[in-house]
Amino acid sequence: MSQAPHSLATRLGRLLLPNPILVASGTFGYAREMDGVINLSRLGGIVPKTVTMAPRVGNPPPRTVETSSGMLNAIGLDNDGLDHFLDHHLPYLRTVGCPIILNFAAKAEAEFPQMAQKASKVEGLSALELNLSCPNVAGGIDFATRPEACERAVRSCRDACPDLPILAKLTPAVTDIVAVAQAAAAGGADAVSLVNTFPGLVIDWKRRRPFLGNGVGGLSGPAIKPLALRCVWNVARACPGLPIVGIGGIGCIDDVMDYLVSGASAVQMGTVNFYDPCAAIRVIEALPEALATLGVATVAQAVGAACGWKPQG
Amino acid sequence: MTNACRPSFHGATVLSNTLIAERTWRVEIQVPELARISQPGQFFMVRLPGRTDPLLGRPFALCDVLPDQSGIAIVHMVVGRVTGLLANIQPGDPLEIWGPLGQRFPEPVAGARRVALVAGGIGQTPFLAHVRELLGSQGFGGHAPRRRVETVDFVYGARTANLHAGVDSFRDAGAIVHLATDDGSAGIHGRVTDVLSGLEKPDHVFGCGPEPMLHALAKQCVAMGIPCHLSLETPMACGLGICYSCVVKVRDDTSASGWDYRRVCIDGPTFAASDLVDFVSADRD
Repeated sequence: MSQAPHSLATRLGRLLLPNPILVASGTFGYAREMDGVINLSRLGGIVPKTVTMAPRVGNPPPRTVETSSGMLNAIGLDNDGLDHFLDHHLPYLRTVGCPIILNFAAKAEAEFPQMAQKASKVEGLSALELNLSCPNVAGGIDFATRPEACERAVRSCRDACPDLPILAKLTPAVTDIVAVAQAAAAGGADAVSLVNTFPGLVIDWKRRRPFLGNGVGGLSGPAIKPLALRCVWNVARACPGLPIVGIGGIGCIDDVMDYLVSGASAVQMGTVNFYDPCAAIRVIEALPEALATLGVATVAQAVGAACGWKPQG
Repeated sequence: MTNACRPSFHGATVLSNTLIAERTWRVEIQVPELARISQPGQFFMVRLPGRTDPLLGRPFALCDVLPDQSGIAIVHMVVGRVTGLLANIQPGDPLEIWGPLGQRFPEPVAGARRVALVAGGIGQTPFLAHVRELLGSQGFGGHAPRRRVETVDFVYGARTANLHAGVDSFRDAGAIVHLATDDGSAGIHGRVTDVLSGLEKPDHVFGCGPEPMLHALAKQCVAMGIPCHLSLETPMACGLGICYSCVVKVRDDTSASGWDYRRVCIDGPTFAASDLVDFVSADRD
């Protein structure tokens, strides 16, 4: 207990978080569902389920299927729209006692600044996270596959909502994620969230059709951790000074530390909330001891601790 | 929403694992915290600890609360990897369990004297506790036992006699048991809907089983003017309402389409049959 409480605090550009453990969009509902299941006020932040300008009914079921150490989902951004979120969910989220990061997606480029502007006028949001990369919506992945489109989307939100920090959530399904991350930074992102799910497919060969109602989906869970970690590592080494939120297969304190030393300043825990709903709290409790094991006093000192590594010989 | 009945997560211990029919197991789990607050119609997510493959929990209905409230029982049929592994668990083995999840069965309609519980296959699992509650032999969720109806008909269909699980438990609990099989090896040679047609008309029907059976049951009850509630099982990752996997189309007069997707895990698992638009519409089946 020699750690000062502030040793867990971490910074993503203009966004200061009490600790680096967030819960990922689409894996925590609108948080109300988890009220009383865990102590929400202890989280470093909550990223509620993606909202869109207009309500979306979502994809036909089945929407998820388990895979080896992972799961494939195609929910399809089932949500009741931004206005409903602001009227119905945000008043509750304001009472939770941890930072709330609004995650939103746009059907067309012009919707991004419209939504950001609406968000700029309400109380209770700590930051915006742009879902530039939902794989389950037509066109959704495009904003983060082309650097110039990514930069434009981020800049338009930054201009429309200058006072809130902006996180750009990127897809790993690109040849060069560093280029997209640099574009997000150029557009004014405070940080990049790396990464969204990996596009995947589960097929039912006996029925001659994909298992999911949508056909393809996004892969998440422990299976993707090495793939996602490599994205974080590559961006961290190429873009020093660009804060990174690591996402992908994080379920325990060792996973968190792997991401921190690889260059993430914070992490989002996602699929684990489905099968181990107390995991995020357990990880927060384990963090001081893990930092001590690493020989550092603060989260900031752990961030990127492995990034100076060079291959021998 | 913060109260004692919110779901909670527990590392629990297996008390017993008993084969009660072909490929069908009753597992008793020591978890007094959940035994005290769980009610018929609710369910749990159960997960095999210490591994990431299989990764997710699986939903299981509350089948029974042990009389000393030390734990709960689930019943499952071996159909996949998780249930296959569950079949091999031993007393003393650890399990992870969270619940109670979802809404309890609604009370029978006012004035109901006779209720029919209609099960297909492993869909029987939520009904043993329900029989005990309806006939007042056991109280659940901290409530004193209270008899709700005079008679409970338990209509139980299966492919074949060897798959009828725990029939004596239902009789011992006081239900009048009516069996049906696809092959005629037990009870009538036919379907649960055939059985229901031959019974004194119930005041309220509850159903659980394969979707085609529930579609037929829903249509039959609508045609007969009997209130009907159906307990659904859909593919589910969390049981908590956070993944949005387990949705079903539910009537919604505020929506342009007349329906919206609802989460079976928190809005259900039991719905009024008349609200399940795909179940009662004529263009299905």
